[in-house]
Parts: sequence; C-alpha cells; structure tokens
Amino acid sequence: MMAGIFGVLLLAFLLNVGGLGRLAVACLLVCLALSIGLFLWEIYSPEYGFRMPWLQA
Amino acid sequence: MPIVVLLDRLVLLLMLAVIAAILTMAMVLQLAFGEIPCPLCLLQRVAMLGCCFGLIQQLRAEKSQRGAGVGLVFALLLLVISARQTLLDIVPRPGHSYVGQAVFGMHMPVWSVVIAVALLLGFAIRFALFGAPRDAAMTEGSAMRRCAHALELYVVLLCAINFLAVVLQCGLGECHTFGYRLL
Repeated sequence: MMAGIFGVLLLAFLLNVGGLGRLAVACLLVCLALSIGLFLWEIYSPEYGFRMPWLQA
Repeated sequence: MPIVVLLDRLVLLLMLAVIAAILTMAMVLQLAFGEIPCPLCLLQRVAMLGCCFGLIQQLRAEKSQRGAGVGLVFALLLLVISARQTLLDIVPRPGHSYVGQAVFGMHMPVWSVVIAVALLLGFAIRFALFGAPRDAAMTEGSAMRRCAHALELYVVLLCAINFLAVVLQCGLGECHTFGYRLL
C-alpha cells in the first residue's frame, strides 16, 4: 500500500514535469485519498478503536 | 515583474527549499544512520512531498491559486498525522516510544507538528501580505525561474529515492521498522 502511495505520488510529479498539470493533480488526489485511508488503518486499534485512553484529561 | 509578485515568488521558493532540505535530512538519517522510518513517518513524508507539489504548481501559475490550495491541504494532512503520532507516543508505555533519535531534544513527529504549523503560517502570511492572485508569470530564463526549475527537479529526484526506499523497506505489504524486506 505504502509503495503504491509513493508510486502514485511520483507519477504525479512526473506528469507535472511533463506539463500535464490537471492529470498530475488528479494523481495527487488519488495519493491523498490512499494516504488518508492508510492513516486511518494505521491508527485504528481493535482494542481502543480511534480512542486514546492513555490520555487522561 | 512587480515587486509584490517577486516577493511572493521568493516566499514560495523559500518554503520549497526548506521542505526539500528537511526531506533530504530525513533521507540522510535513514540511509547514513540506519534510522528506518515508521509507517506514520512515511505518511508525513508523503504530506511534505504533497506540499512541495503544491508549491511547484503555484510557482508556475499565473492567475490560479490552485497550487496554494493543494499545499494547504497537504500541510493540514501533515499536521493531523504528526499530532496523532505525537499523542500516540506521548505517554511512555510498553511497545510505545518515539522512533529514532531526538534532534535538538525533540523527536521527528514533534518536529513535524512544528513544520506543519510553520507551513500553514507561511501560506497565511503570504496571503495576508500579497493578497489575491496576480497576472504575472516568471520571465523565461530569469534566475528565479532557473532556481525554481532546479528545485523542482531535485524534489522529483527526492520523491523517486523515497519511492525506491519504500519498495525496499515494505515491498508490497506492511511497513516495519526492524529492517528492509527486500534486502
């Protein structure tokens, strides 16, 4: 998944260098969506969900 | 080129140079000092590279502020990820501690919070000082245009190196900090 995110990001940069700005931004949006998905998956805990019970207010 | 536009481009160029330097430092720490990044650290690099993309687009733009918008979105993503990681490891407990060595007493996720806030502040100051988009492109062959182009190519190179490092570290699966999967 992480390799895919960096791959799409690199593609966006290469398209941007090649002058295909709109396509590059589209690739970047895909990268953004994948990054948010992976971030949520990384921080989710089967035990706590998205909560952080070690923080006591 | 009007002085306001020139200053605007200089601020963008400076922001791009600073993020490129930070990403270079991260790669040096990884390759020379063997500090393998965690998954959230890698996502923070994605967010910083996304900011670079926005800044590059804004440096090229004549009327549109789309690049600045893209940069702001990724700066916000950087802030969310780094704040969550800082909170994840802020209370010492088994299996949870900051990855890597501290730089000037602060670990990388905490630095990322500072960087994200600085980026948001940079965009805000830029909008406050220079206001609405202006109809002036960088002159062909000017020193600033050459500098922006060189920085753009350097950032693309950094992205390519990061991509290769991630493939070596994670392969096509999950990322771990105890070694390179493909080495």
